[in-house]
Amino acid sequence: MKNMLKLALISIFFVPSLAFAEVNVVSWGGAYTESQKLGYGDPYQEKSGVKINWIDYSGGLSEVRTQVESGNVTWNIIDLYAKDTITGCDEGLLVEFDFDKDFPAAPDGTVASKDFFTTMPSKCAVGNILYSWNYAFNPNAFPGQDVMPSTIVDFYDTVTYPGKRSIYGSAMSNIEQALVADGVKASAVYTVLEKQAGALDRAINKIRTLCEDPNGGCIFWTAGAQPPELLASGEVVMATGWNGRFFNAIVGEGTTITQVWDGQILDYEYFGLITGSPNQDEAMEALRYFTGTEGLAGSAKYIAYAPWRVSSLEIIEAGEPWYKDGTTNMMPNMPTAAANTQNYILMNPEYWADNETEIGEAWEAFKSSL
Amino acid sequence: MNNVSSNQILTTDGIPLEISLKKSERRNKIKSFLLVAPLLLFIIVVYISPIVNLLTRSVDNTLISTLLPKTYIALEDWEGKNLPSEEIYKTFFIDLEIAHKAKISGKVSTRLNYAKGGFKSLINKTRRKLENFEDSNYKSQFIEIHEKWGQLEYWQAMKSAMPKYTYDKYLNAFDYEKNFEGKIVEKPKDRRVHKMLWLRTLKVALGVTFCCFLLAFPIAHLLATLPLRYSNLLMICVLLPFWTSLLVRTSSWMILLQQQGVINDILVYLKIVSNDNRLELMYNMNGTFVAMTQILLPFMVLPLYSVMKTIPPTLMRAGKSLGGTPFYSFRKIYFPLTFPGIGAGSLLVFILAIGYYITPALVGGASGTLISNRIAYHMKETLDWAMASAMGTILLVSVLILYWIYNKLLGIDNIKLG
Repeated sequence: MKNMLKLALISIFFVPSLAFAEVNVVSWGGAYTESQKLGYGDPYQEKSGVKINWIDYSGGLSEVRTQVESGNVTWNIIDLYAKDTITGCDEGLLVEFDFDKDFPAAPDGTVASKDFFTTMPSKCAVGNILYSWNYAFNPNAFPGQDVMPSTIVDFYDTVTYPGKRSIYGSAMSNIEQALVADGVKASAVYTVLEKQAGALDRAINKIRTLCEDPNGGCIFWTAGAQPPELLASGEVVMATGWNGRFFNAIVGEGTTITQVWDGQILDYEYFGLITGSPNQDEAMEALRYFTGTEGLAGSAKYIAYAPWRVSSLEIIEAGEPWYKDGTTNMMPNMPTAAANTQNYILMNPEYWADNETEIGEAWEAFKSSL
Repeated sequence: MNNVSSNQILTTDGIPLEISLKKSERRNKIKSFLLVAPLLLFIIVVYISPIVNLLTRSVDNTLISTLLPKTYIALEDWEGKNLPSEEIYKTFFIDLEIAHKAKISGKVSTRLNYAKGGFKSLINKTRRKLENFEDSNYKSQFIEIHEKWGQLEYWQAMKSAMPKYTYDKYLNAFDYEKNFEGKIVEKPKDRRVHKMLWLRTLKVALGVTFCCFLLAFPIAHLLATLPLRYSNLLMICVLLPFWTSLLVRTSSWMILLQQQGVINDILVYLKIVSNDNRLELMYNMNGTFVAMTQILLPFMVLPLYSVMKTIPPTLMRAGKSLGGTPFYSFRKIYFPLTFPGIGAGSLLVFILAIGYYITPALVGGASGTLISNRIAYHMKETLDWAMASAMGTILLVSVLILYWIYNKLLGIDNIKLG
């Protein structure tokens, strides 16, 4: 009897870690994490019996670095900006992939590296979604106007469309869009920034004019949920933001705002696998499912971010209306839809990894001089 | 034997009293030390050692010289007037290849990128092509990979990033930098941000402390003089926000202050301002000031209250009976007696305000960010922890200096925290 009791006690401590492995996935929270959880987290949990825990964070690699340096890694998979996959790989915080071997091929047999739209920015990254930095406006703010804003130039046009704007609190995305609004070709933005002296000043001056204009003015947002809120409350008339959040406000919550896709910045989001965690194999297995054709298509059911894989798009197209309400078509709301990519900027993470510190200083100096 | 101990007092067991006393005292000392030992250990582990770590991180720069040891030595003799010699390019190639094979070349690129933007992609591009290098003309091969290898400024930046210990981060924290000749110069105008942020942080902290003092003094006085049943109610009103989450309080201020918010709505309803001309109460300094003052107010009220409670009301009456006007006796008697409370409250509020982070980020807008937001930026975004450590150290030292000044002026044992 006593031995039985001992055994039972011991099993309490040891058996769970053997029977139910857990994988901790770190992401940005809100509607986005929800889409990941419902899209591929829960299905995988059901299929494999591995418990998936979702943890929220607000970006950056500081926690990862602390965990790896102290040798106590509790996070497994992390959702990252491209520039952070580069830094994370350089610092040895993330696992390097052997891409075609590590990730499954498309249903028709296309190898993984060909099924993804582009190559990855670093060896430690696997693509997850494509999202957009576009802008939206509140149509009620311009009652006398026949023509509503439709281009990125309109965002800076305070004569035709007076009112406050909300823009992202950091330099990333603002610099690029300001240059395009100032007449630089969207495809040439980063070349201009790298090669032309004074391009950064030109961009910042464009934004300064907008912010100091008595008919304009700027409010800086820091969290993804802010732009739709600021628009809905009437605090601003136009706001840049992430298209998935705008979509959620429009379709999910019925807010009367309109998105503008001209001059959008197409950006990518990635998963990385953190080095040195105890259950690396289970984590890799989960990641393989998440970024498979079905997994990526699954998350698009809940938010308007485009999956990285070409084969996932095919599933969505065949299954329209794909949105969870069963009536909304997902493809036209994707940042990659043909109608939305007439004039777009492709995010260059390498440029930001290189110049973040310098631009950050110039940007802060500008903001504080307002 | 007898001679020696003749003038010593002995205890019953024959040991001199002095020794016996010392023994028992020592035992007592050990006992009391053992009693505080866990606490001491705790403080050393979780308090002292992180601070020491912070201090060393801000000056420690051994990484590059360890990862590129041969280049470190080779660059020591290089004067930096012309491009390095073929020899140095070769040495650098060898170092980089070793680092690449050990998978640590990424660390080199991150560190060098702090010294000069562009190094990151430069090293990343270079290391992909290391395998194709031929064993001659290293210089031209490097420049072929990227023209930046042929630019003097990148080599100068590399050399200036080499020293094992550096105070560059501290210079940077005040918008200065060392140029290649070793002279300390101010940074280009459009990149000066820290000095202004320090000043703004100081201004906000001082301003908030002063506002807190103005508001808290009458409240504390009322608390100390009202009958108990009213003052208890008032005390709860003071403490209630104190128990509420910081985020909740900040967001409620956002609801109140925004242009379509409660305060503006009321003003428009009362026709004090017109609908098109709503006041900007938030996303500027106003917001930061109002929200921070309210949030930090209890830290001023409580020490003031505890001091005022101990001032006997008879003193004021005595002052008046001796012919002083109420204001005169207040100024001469009551007010000076509250100094310990004012000191404690101001010190508390100031120290909390100088490191404030969330509230300025949420309601401060462009002109509302403070130095702590910049520290967080370096911790999270650029991973330049040395820079963050340097700024943290400066913050720590400035608080210590303040404490020292306070001690000199008013005496720290004069302080009363409640």
